[in-house]
This record gives sequence, C-alpha cells and structure tokens, in this order.
Amino acid sequence: MKVALVGQPNSGKSTLFNAVGGYRSLTSNFAGTTVEYTYGQGRVDGTVFELVDLPGLYSLTPTSPVEATSSDFLLAGRWDVIVNVLDASQLARSLELTLELLDLEAPLVVCLNMMDEAARKGMKIDSKALSAALGVPVVEAIGGRGQGIVETFRTAQHQIAHCSRPFIYAAEAEAVVKRLAERISADVSVPASAEPSETTAEANAPSLASVAVAEAATAALSPPPRFQALRWMQSDPHELWQEKPALASAVEQAQAEIARRAGQPADAVISAARHAACLALFERVVRVTRPKTDWREELDRAAMHPIWGYPLLLAVFLGFFRLIFDVGRLVEAPILNAFDTLVALLTQHLDAQSALFAGIKGAVQGTAGAVALVLPYLLPFLVGLAILEDLGYLSRVGYLMDAAMHRLGLHGTATLPMLLGYGCSVPAVMATRILSSRRDRFIAAFLSVLVPCSARMTVIFALVGFYLGPNYALGIYALNILVVAAAGHVLAHIWPEISPGMLMEVPAYRLPSPRVVALKTWWRLREFVLVAFPLLVIGSVILSIVDFLGWQHSINAALSPLTALLGLPRSVGLTLIFGVLRKELSLLMLMQALGTTHVLAVMTAAQVLIFTLFVTFYIPCVATLASMMRELGWKLTVAASGALLTLAIVISLAARGVLAVL
Amino acid sequence: MRDTANFNSPLNLYQAEDEATIRILRITGGWEVRRSFNELGIQPGDRVRVLRRAPFGGPLVIDNHGTRVAVGKELAEKIRVERLP
Repeated sequence: MKVALVGQPNSGKSTLFNAVGGYRSLTSNFAGTTVEYTYGQGRVDGTVFELVDLPGLYSLTPTSPVEATSSDFLLAGRWDVIVNVLDASQLARSLELTLELLDLEAPLVVCLNMMDEAARKGMKIDSKALSAALGVPVVEAIGGRGQGIVETFRTAQHQIAHCSRPFIYAAEAEAVVKRLAERISADVSVPASAEPSETTAEANAPSLASVAVAEAATAALSPPPRFQALRWMQSDPHELWQEKPALASAVEQAQAEIARRAGQPADAVISAARHAACLALFERVVRVTRPKTDWREELDRAAMHPIWGYPLLLAVFLGFFRLIFDVGRLVEAPILNAFDTLVALLTQHLDAQSALFAGIKGAVQGTAGAVALVLPYLLPFLVGLAILEDLGYLSRVGYLMDAAMHRLGLHGTATLPMLLGYGCSVPAVMATRILSSRRDRFIAAFLSVLVPCSARMTVIFALVGFYLGPNYALGIYALNILVVAAAGHVLAHIWPEISPGMLMEVPAYRLPSPRVVALKTWWRLREFVLVAFPLLVIGSVILSIVDFLGWQHSINAALSPLTALLGLPRSVGLTLIFGVLRKELSLLMLMQALGTTHVLAVMTAAQVLIFTLFVTFYIPCVATLASMMRELGWKLTVAASGALLTLAIVISLAARGVLAVL
Repeated sequence: MRDTANFNSPLNLYQAEDEATIRILRITGGWEVRRSFNELGIQPGDRVRVLRRAPFGGPLVIDNHGTRVAVGKELAEKIRVERLP
C-alpha cells in the first residue's frame, strides 16, 4: 500500500509522516518548508506500507513550482490512497483542497489535524457530519501529541478500495464541464481509463488481495475526465496552450460559455462556487464560540509592531549569534588543545618523516577541525534555528522585511530562502521554489548563496571571532548584509521585472516541542556527520600527503597571483581550492598549511580578516553548485559563480586597501 | 449577494484602515493574481478584518475566516473593497 500525504502548507503532514515513518521529514511553522517529496516506510498494526510526504499545496491548479511538484505527483497516480491532512483550525480554507481531491474519484481519507488549535479558536467541529457531507472517512487528530495518527492510517488501509465521489459545487457550470469531460474521454484512446470510478473489489480485507485491487484502481485512475475538465478550465491560459494544444480551443470555448453567462472569467466562477460550498460546509459542521486570547496575540503585538518589531528582530538575531559564539568559544580552545597534545604524542611514537605519519596526522587534524572548530558553532546554531522555525517567527520576519526586500527587487516571501541560507545554502536554493516568478527565484537564490551559511559561519567565528574578537565577526555579518543589499539592488536593475508581490500565510505561533527541535537538529546534523565529516577528514589526509610529497609548492605557486593580490601568505593558496568542496575545509587546512593552530603567530590580523572575507564570498561549495544547477540551469549557475568570485576578489581587495590605510 | 453598483468602488484594500472590517468586491489583475488569492481562500464577497500593517509601504495582515495572510502593497492595491460597519 502506498499512502500519499496531501495537504495545504503547514497542516502537519510532516509531523504525521515522522510519527510513523521514522523522522525523515522536516517540519516547521512556515508555509513551504517541504519542497520535495519524501519517501518513507510506515508501520501500523504490524503492516508495513509506503509513505510519500508531498510538499504542501493550496490547490491542484498550482501557481508555484513547489505546488506543481505535488500536483504532478498526484495526477501521475502512483499511489493507492490519499490521506488529506487538514489544519482543523483553518477548516473553511482547507476544505477547498479537499473538494478538489474528491474530484479525483480515488481512495481518500481526511485527517482533521490540530484539533487542539481549533478548540483554542473556539471551534467545535462535528466530524461525523463532515464525513457524511464529504462521503469519505474523517479522522480527528492532534499530530503533535501523537493522537489520531494510527487511527488515520488504519482508516486509510480500510479505505483502499473505496473511491470518493465528486462533490458538485458549481451547479451552474456543471453542464459545460460535463460536455468538456466527454470531449476529453473521447480524445483518450486508452480503453482502461474509460471507467475510472468503478473498482470491483471487496472492501474489508486490507490484505494481499487489496494490493492487487489498489493497483487496478491506480491503473484505471489517470485523472478522471471530469476532474481534467475542471482543472483545465481553471488553469493558466499559457500553460493550457503549451501542454494541451489539442484541447485548448475546446477548453476556451467552454470557458467563454461560462464567462458569458456569469459575467466573470470561468476560473473565478468555479473557484468562487467552491469557496461558497466550503463556507456552507463550515457553517454546517462547526459551532463557533468565543476564542481564547492568549500570549500569541500579545507576542504578535510586539513582534509585528511597526516600530518595536524591528529592534526586537535585531535583538533576536544578535542574541542568537552571540549565543552561538559564546557556546562555541567555550568549547573550541580546550578541544583544540587536546588534539594538539595528541599530535605531539604521535610524533613521539611515529617517524615524523614517513608517509604513514603524514596520513595519520592529516586524519587527526581533520577530525580535530570537525570536532573542535565546526561542531561547537554548528550545534547551537541548528538548535536555535529549529526553535525559531517551529515557533513561527520566520514568517513575521518576512512580514517586517517585505518593504526592505523591495529594495532588493524581491518581496517578503523571499526572506525564507535567505534566512535558511544562514543555515545551509542547499535548502535555501531549493526553498526559492516557493516563489512564483523565475526571475525572483534567480535573484533569491543568488542572494541566499551570498549569505554566509553555517559552514562559513564556523570559519568566521573560529577564525575572526576567536582570534580578533566577536565584534569583528559581527562586522563581517554586517558587511555581508550590505553586500547582499547592493547585489540585490544591482540585480533588480539588470532584471527590472515587477515581481508579483508578497502573499503569505501568517501561521499561529506554536510552542516548539523539545522533541521536534531535537529531531530536527539531529536530522540536519546527520547531514554534517555523514557528508561533511568524511569530506573534512579525507581532505585533510590529502592535504597532508600533498604536503608530504612536496606538491603543495607547485600548487601554491600556480595560485600565487591570487594570494599575492590579496596579500595572503603563499601557503594558503591550496586551502582556497579545497574550500570549494566544503567551506570548513579552508579553515581546517589553513591550520594545517600553516602548521599551527596559533594562527596569529604566522598571519597578521589583517590577513586573517581578508582570508575570511574571501572564503565567505567566493564560489559556493559543490553541493550548493549542484542544487543551483538543478534549480537555475548551468548557464545561470556559471554566471553566478563568476560573479561571486569577482565579488570576493573585489571585497577582499577593498578590505586590504582600507586596512592598509588604517 | 454581490452588489454590482459597488464594483467601481474607489477604495482598495491597502487604503482600508487598521482594525477596519471590509468586504472584498473584486480582485483585479489577471489569472495569476486571482489564483493566488483564491488559493488562500480569499474571494469576492468575503468579510475580512484588517489587523495591522508594516511601515515603509510594507504588507498588511488581514484575517479572513481565521486565516491570517500578509498581503504586499502592490497586491493589496489590486483588491477593490467596501467598508462594512
């Protein structure tokens, strides 16, 4: 059995997925966190089944690439049953997607999640009445507390052979829709899809037999003609001509007929009718009493205040980085010393001139770097980010920053990828998919790559912060913000298209649960442990061996024009190359190349600063390049990399000039 | 339900005061704008409360059937509204 988890953004799909699927999916209190679908396996009552967590989507007629990912997956029909997760506290709006899903005429279960939140809002929902009205099972749940989850999947298992029936909401358009549907089914020559809604199976045995039945149902599915007719009548006219040229004129005729009768565009007529149906359903199944006002309202009064919101924002982020710095610094020195002792011990027991010693020394230094330089800063950062995300503060930041983002040629929604950029550029670039225009996606991706990710943060904190003091580290962040602003300004001039503007849900605050924060931190840390850590150790070993073989001189000589230009010691040339693999490598290797962890003994403060600035701004790491290729194509990726390299050189040179004057 | 006489209402959403309750009359600006609002459950005929707005021409936050949405200035100006008592 393959279960597709479908729901509007922020409805708690990922929480459900994690509860049975073993924590594979990131949740957060922000629309658009899951941008790709995640596969997993779940187990309920001893039955193992496949699970697909789809990115949130508001409707099956997508307006952004994230939504298109989900709707394409759903329409391809490679699943057996849909679990539609709803935020019960947003019932009226959430039902709009549910009504569309009913039109798929497929096995469907509705999971009314966040019932506690609904109760807080004073909503009493009669889920039995809702189930009766929709014609599919409705299960109440509180995903965060693990309530109703098993029940949901159990119901899904039983529902596998029952197909939903369309919910007729636009009666005035139905005749036209029906005619178009007939035209569509006549066009389809494949006989299997002629009768999509009939499955001939016994329902109550969710066993081996039902799997076969489900497969048959899926085969017969390929969105029913009526669904297709409705979808095309609401879709983007450009997309229609591109994807279904054969059908386009028939669809346009149908649209024109409805528009003539209603005096409004067909898509507006259909969605208005669906909206009205949802409101009517809401009235029927919900009793609303007085909502409880609590700290959330008070918090928003401060967090979204036209004046105080900004100092608060600044305080939150300064406090956040200060905390990371303090925690990291506390741990960095003792661990570094411990590893220094270890290397000294090695010298006593091994021949310092052998290749073996070089290899082992490299491995020890790589491990030391990862444990002493990277982890102390990365771990508190990840915990803090998880808390801010789960609380729901990030969308408030988007609200506050919208006006400023306009100066960068973007709008508030683009704040999410840029904030994620402080964590890691890879998810940041992927998160640009929540933006609907291609131009906005490019600018947001470019700027979010420019933002120092946590790897670069460790370089900044462990080098500049540790040796020159926290104010210098914060100074780099401030400079970075200025550079981001300038770059955005320039890009907005080069590409002066009007971006569609901000339209974003502001979710209710949620108290971050320690369990979710811990899991999320672990999930992101895993990425570091599994991918970055080996790279760091292997990179260190390679550097050590290159050093042993004496190759570093020719490589450094080749890079000497660059290092000389920046006024850096020749020996750091090699470390800059390795930084493209992982930004932390530059840091680790710097210590290695210099042959000491006491950087200031061999480099001046100015050199440390310039080195860090260059590493912060130049070409992104390979993982980021790969995700940029996927989202933007190679041309824009190459252009962006060239621009970043140039920018890094210019900034470093400018810093060199300024420092020389001082 | 919809009063055609008000379709040319001079008021747009961005001009509505904080704390005002308004009714959405019409969403202008083409398919994509209409879809984006419709997706978030915002439709002509809806009663909406304006909660607050960000300074410097920033977005305003509206409450529509319990859903809170931040609407940027340029989009808010595409919505024709009327004040409700």
